[in-house]
Amino acid sequence: MVMCVRVKVRYFARFRDIAGVSEEEFDIPDDAKVKDLIELIKKKHPKFNDEIFEQNEEADVNVSKNGRYVDFDEELREGDIIALFPPVSGG
Amino acid sequence: MLSEKELERYDRQIRIFGIEGQEKLKKAKVAVVGIGGLGSPVAYYLTAAGIGEILLIDEQIPELSNLNRQILHWEEDLDKTPKSLSAKRKLEKLNSDVKIEAFVGKLTRENIEDVLKDVDVIVDCLDNFETRYLLDEFAHKKGVPLVHAAVEGLHGQATTIIPEKTKSLREIFPIPPKKKEKFPILGATAGVMGTIQAAEVIKLITGCGEPLANKLLVIDLAHNAFEIIELK
Repeated sequence: MVMCVRVKVRYFARFRDIAGVSEEEFDIPDDAKVKDLIELIKKKHPKFNDEIFEQNEEADVNVSKNGRYVDFDEELREGDIIALFPPVSGG
Repeated sequence: MLSEKELERYDRQIRIFGIEGQEKLKKAKVAVVGIGGLGSPVAYYLTAAGIGEILLIDEQIPELSNLNRQILHWEEDLDKTPKSLSAKRKLEKLNSDVKIEAFVGKLTRENIEDVLKDVDVIVDCLDNFETRYLLDEFAHKKGVPLVHAAVEGLHGQATTIIPEKTKSLREIFPIPPKKKEKFPILGATAGVMGTIQAAEVIKLITGCGEPLANKLLVIDLAHNAFEIIELK
């Protein structure tokens, strides 16, 4: 049996509009990484797939875990708070 | 030494960082790279604060659709005066004590050392990561702090790169976000982020407060959400 952990996902800026909520919880396998969570988010909110993730997913989202900037291979634990931020480049 | 006039002009901020802090501002040279939505408030507040020398870098000419956010460019400048010169003209009227230099051209690998020589702080007000990486490389090579910001819509981010102390911009954002030719942007968003950049520059020069070193400030004005993310 796969053990599950619960993490909280917070959406920022445009992502908040796409998800329709500012935050929500996900149950994920206890060895899951950020990239696995992203897959779950895409499944739950197909608009992320259509509007955000085009070619290189790591370029399309910035991720923090418990207030610290992390990459897609970061492992997740029970109670982690993940925040997703759209990248910006304008001036 | 500050004159009587300068002591009076900067009185309200001398109350924050002292005469010594104001003298540091007067001795400093700051480069503002990109005089658009971010660069306008940055250059405006740095001029008002009495930075000794400000170098404005931009090669573009203002267009009508720039005016919702690029507040240093006015209707009279449209399709005519390059942005660095348009900004220089107004800033010199705001504060004649500040030496304003304008470079009408694009920063390249070939000219960057020459254009940015003797600069104490660089402010990244660009609209693309290609030139940002160039600034980042130069900043690390020469040990010059780089104040970064970027904006889109009602959303912005800022961080201050200090060579030897913080990650480089390329380490933080290794994959450049796709450049959009026409991205949505509200003037007030650029105003908020540019003002934060101006404050970062003044903090770096005077030593007052704590800069956004190894911290990414993310602001979402649509939902009044402000986050600081640790980058270490």
